Amino acid sequence: MGIVVTGVGVVSALGVGVERNLASLREGASGISAHPTLLKTSHHLPVGELALSNEELHELLGISPREHLSRTALLGILAVREALKGIDMSNPARVGLVSSTSVGGMDLTEHFFEEFIENEGAGRLRDVRMHDCAASTDAIAHYCGIKGYTTTLSTACSSAANAVITGAKLLKHNIVDIVVVGGSDALSAFTLNGFKSLMILDENPCRPFDEMRAGLNLGEGAGYIVLQREEEATNYICRLGGYANRNDAHHQTASSAEGNGAYMAMADAIAMAGIEPSAVDYINAHGTGTPNNDASESAAFVRLFGESVPPFSSTKGYTGHTLAAAGGIEAVFSVLAIKHSYRYANHNFSEPIVAYNLKPVTQFEEGAEVKCVLSNSFGFGGNCSSILFTR
Amino acid sequence: MRCFIERVVTNHDVTTDIKALIPDAGLRRRMSRVIKSAVSTAMETLGGVEGIASLDGIITATGWGCLADSERFLRNVIVDKEQLLNPTPFIQSTFNTVGGQIALLGHNHCYNVTYVNRSHSFEDALLDAMMRAEDGDSEHMLLGAFDEETPSQHRIMERMGAFRKVECGEGAMFAIVGAKRNERSIAEVTTLAFPTESLTRERVAELYATSEHARVIYNGYAEHGLFPTASALCFAEAVKLVADGTPEVVIYNEYFGATPTVIVVRCLA
Repeated sequence: MGIVVTGVGVVSALGVGVERNLASLREGASGISAHPTLLKTSHHLPVGELALSNEELHELLGISPREHLSRTALLGILAVREALKGIDMSNPARVGLVSSTSVGGMDLTEHFFEEFIENEGAGRLRDVRMHDCAASTDAIAHYCGIKGYTTTLSTACSSAANAVITGAKLLKHNIVDIVVVGGSDALSAFTLNGFKSLMILDENPCRPFDEMRAGLNLGEGAGYIVLQREEEATNYICRLGGYANRNDAHHQTASSAEGNGAYMAMADAIAMAGIEPSAVDYINAHGTGTPNNDASESAAFVRLFGESVPPFSSTKGYTGHTLAAAGGIEAVFSVLAIKHSYRYANHNFSEPIVAYNLKPVTQFEEGAEVKCVLSNSFGFGGNCSSILFTR
Repeated sequence: MRCFIERVVTNHDVTTDIKALIPDAGLRRRMSRVIKSAVSTAMETLGGVEGIASLDGIITATGWGCLADSERFLRNVIVDKEQLLNPTPFIQSTFNTVGGQIALLGHNHCYNVTYVNRSHSFEDALLDAMMRAEDGDSEHMLLGAFDEETPSQHRIMERMGAFRKVECGEGAMFAIVGAKRNERSIAEVTTLAFPTESLTRERVAELYATSEHARVIYNGYAEHGLFPTASALCFAEAVKLVADGTPEVVIYNEYFGATPTVIVVRCLA
């Protein structure tokens, strides 16, 4: 049974919506700013922050600010509403949602905790009501009219890719007729300080796959795609050709030098689609900009594709690393790459990594056919997932 | 869809010394209480670290995740004013820490995912296991659920009025799930359902029981305390009942403010 993609929705530091995001990618205009303006932090570090406050997001969505939704939920609702635009949800369809997040309602919990640690009777309870991951899923389903099976998963930075995989299985097993899959994560002091404490944040705009890369920039956003069974979709953008979830089993936060998990995930996704590695026209890499990830991912590329590594790039130089949302945002970009025959530029690249000498796509390309795109998402806990989209 | 259960172990059943279950002393020291409890329950289920190699799926579930580590890191961010923070609690705050640790302990590269869907987390993980079993993607999986109680979480939920009827709780449960029946199988999961509205005990029996001797565990989560994956402990109880001769157990849980879930566990004919 074939699974097809029938809708896409995205919010990132590049802005709200597919058009805005594509325009920035085309112009080569990054969404990374020198430092956060909305997020409360003392760190002067570059981030991919969406320039809309929670109040503005409530207003944009037509949701009363009194509902006091977490930023993760607000970003998710924006992206899911766009993804579902034009999808016929009536026609006794069971519409499901597989969402993912790594911080959940942490943006609100942080406010609560400041007061709570001073006095356990203090802090507004409405600030912790949305702490858990599923709270954002519930809000998204509620405000987007999704009434079928919903679930939430969290596998760090590979989360949204795994949401795609679970969604495909729900369709195969006839548990849903339409399923929205992806992820949402807001910037938070928790994650910014977390990655800072791991010393993997670049103090400059990130430089994925560059010899001089020095870390990642954190970002925020949401990306969701709509999946349906091919025989039931009246028209579709592309197919979900293959997917795989494997574990690097090397270290809790670092990737193996050989890129074991990445290699296996890519190889299995390609095998599932029944194609040769040489059929891949573009890879939207995980490419965080950390010395470790990009070396490991490059090693996996070389192992799998030999001397003919397909054109690849990381779009994190535009959006920042949006954690659980990354696989969703990049799935949207990958689907659009097939739709319009685009290959995105890898921002801030100058020198290839000496050990691998791989040069990513550096200019926005269009015109040359893109029929098969691989999207990689790797995370803490060794989680490595790859998704393959085909025309 | 169905799957076969080979073994279930809860945190209360762990009898082996933790030093034997998690031999790496440094790793043990870094692990928070919930990680230690969940990983040692998993190792007891698998008969030690060597058992990890045989798995072709590791599916975990948690409603709250690693709360103590999350809280510790957040407290440090605030108190230490974002300076010189120890990354360990941040690393371990990730929801997939337990699943990742198990893969790491056994150098197992198989499918690995974590569901974080409140009181449906365990049932969603079970559904994934059943789908993988039916698709032939996994033959021999580890399925687990865990949640921990912390003083802050207790205080916050108390303020929300959550414990008026049920006390707070915590726990861990792991099971070995097979796609096919084999000589180690002790029970079969025949049904997993997500009703959209409340059902009475009688209605649950009417709709889901196939044996006249079926037992219904109705809102049994309450006996294990209020935590999102408490239904996993009901599942363990059901598997044990079936292994001891009850022909069928229907588990119904309608956790605090959520829609219900139903799992039917049956003895092997």
